[in-house]
Amino acid sequence: MPRDLVGGLFWLAVAIFAASQGVTLKLGSLSRPGPGFFPFWGGVILGLFSLALLARSLGQAERLSLAGIRWPMFLLVVGALLGYLLALESLGFVIITVLFLLILFRAAGRRWLFSAALSLVAAGLAHVIFRVWLKTQLPVGPLGF
Amino acid sequence: MEIFQGVLYGFQVALQPINLLYCFLGVFIGTLVGVLPGLGPAAAIALLLPSTFAVSPVSAIIMLAGIYYGAMYGGSTTSILVNIPGEAASVVTCMDGYAMARQGRAGPALGMAAFASFIAGTLSIVALTFLAPLLVRVGLSFGPPEYFALMLLGITLVTYFARGSMLKALMMAGVGLLLGTVGADTISGRQRFVFGIQTLADGVGRVPVIMGLFGVSEVLLNLEQIGGTREIFAAPTRGLLPNREDWRRSTIPILRGSVLGFFLGILPGAGAIIASFAAYAVEKRASKHPERFGTGMIEGVAGPEAANNAAAGGAFIPLLTLGIPANAVMAILLGALMIHGLQPGPLLVKQAPDVFWGIITSMYVGNVMLLILNLPLIGLWVGLLKVPYQLLFPFILLFCLIGSYSVSNNVGDGIVMWVFGILGYLMKKFDYEGAPLILAMVIGPMMEETLRQSLILSAGSFAIFVSRPISAGFLVAAVVLLMLPLVRRRAAALRTADAE
Repeated sequence: MPRDLVGGLFWLAVAIFAASQGVTLKLGSLSRPGPGFFPFWGGVILGLFSLALLARSLGQAERLSLAGIRWPMFLLVVGALLGYLLALESLGFVIITVLFLLILFRAAGRRWLFSAALSLVAAGLAHVIFRVWLKTQLPVGPLGF
Repeated sequence: MEIFQGVLYGFQVALQPINLLYCFLGVFIGTLVGVLPGLGPAAAIALLLPSTFAVSPVSAIIMLAGIYYGAMYGGSTTSILVNIPGEAASVVTCMDGYAMARQGRAGPALGMAAFASFIAGTLSIVALTFLAPLLVRVGLSFGPPEYFALMLLGITLVTYFARGSMLKALMMAGVGLLLGTVGADTISGRQRFVFGIQTLADGVGRVPVIMGLFGVSEVLLNLEQIGGTREIFAAPTRGLLPNREDWRRSTIPILRGSVLGFFLGILPGAGAIIASFAAYAVEKRASKHPERFGTGMIEGVAGPEAANNAAAGGAFIPLLTLGIPANAVMAILLGALMIHGLQPGPLLVKQAPDVFWGIITSMYVGNVMLLILNLPLIGLWVGLLKVPYQLLFPFILLFCLIGSYSVSNNVGDGIVMWVFGILGYLMKKFDYEGAPLILAMVIGPMMEETLRQSLILSAGSFAIFVSRPISAGFLVAAVVLLMLPLVRRRAAALRTADAE
């Protein structure tokens, strides 16, 4: 598959979606443009550019390749980020931060003891810096921190 | 003289102990993110923005601005000692800076980078001081059509200066414009693209998008590339002062880099990165020995380092005078000003002279602090470079998580960051640039408003954009920029056809 084909199709879909939403939102008239005016024309312009990219991609020699991606690490990091966000409000800032750092240090090949110690110290420091010093509102867990 | 009163007033603000402290914090953090590869000023400022909610707007902006120009200093250290740019704007410094380090001249290279940064930074603030009030007067005469045309030109410039394909950059600008429409319509109040998701009701958050595109995605990409240990040259804590010969060769490049950088910095999208490359090219062309560039020519360090710092100063001009951000960092500063209840634009100097003059003069102070931070304390930053990336990246991610959450204490913003982190990673893989997207997203709502106001003013006629000379001028410039790549390709095609 040509390299830019997927991207072109993806953005074309986004453009069609935006333009159709623009129509639903009411375009208004040129003298009184409505809420859908800008999304509609924005979608049309993005769509035209996407079509140009698609046309160009058909003659492209470079193929789509995902060879360079280190999947295990990529999925682990992406998963850890999502897990952090989903568990933040139920577990509280300190606990989830310790878990998050521990997983990532382990994944980066550090030993258990080292990872655990560094995670605990770092979470404690983050607690002091963000909660106590900068007064950031961070969720409190069942144990009160 | 109005300007001198302003400067005097500005120094009264900037020299207050609390503002000195925030200025120092800013330039310190700036140097830190500059030294660390893989964490840029845009992500760092986005991260620290929430923590400034409690302080006064002047202190907040002084600190955030300090991070930006501070990063320009820090970036060169990593380029010279490790041959990895600490900052995108320091890429060219690697060439001759690292070559100098290999010859045992790391000290003078670092020293000259710091002095060039200081001289150019200061010169560009002087220019900013005098030029900004003039542009404010110009900005006051602009109506909606002029603003719309100017922003259109701005977006065109960003896509023109994009590194990869201009077509892809234009697409990203289109995506940014659409993202900017999410949330309540400013004129009719209708909800657009919200789909019942609470987080989207006020629009897609800038901070989470920037942290995703410039923070998370960068980490994901770096994790593929690391491996092997970096070679760092022994901490050169002595012998930092360039000798007389170094100075003789560097003075003119520093001045040339300052002028070039300042003017490129003003242009939306050009900024520090392009300025440093342009300065390198200019020095190479002006030199009697262009063939020796890349083998440790001090001109190749002094010119680009001057240019990227001067550009950092120039970038403040469109933001402070017209309310239009020139790059991603300025886009966050625009957001920061608005969060603190200030409207960036030509009225800023009247409404909040303490902020306007305070920021400008704080940069004089910040540059002096940076010179001290980067010369005697260089050993500290070199030590930091020895921390392996495997230990660093969990912290960068943690900062992004905390930063995106704490903008409005909302997990939804974190999810937005997560989505844009993955999207940004894919964009980097497929050569789509993030900067046009961010810029279009930030100025999109203003563009929509001015477009609709113009059309209401003209009762639906697009002639309003061409009948007013200033807006017509901006539009012509935008069209020329859009056509240039096509014309050039045609010319190149003709030339090859002739050759055959």
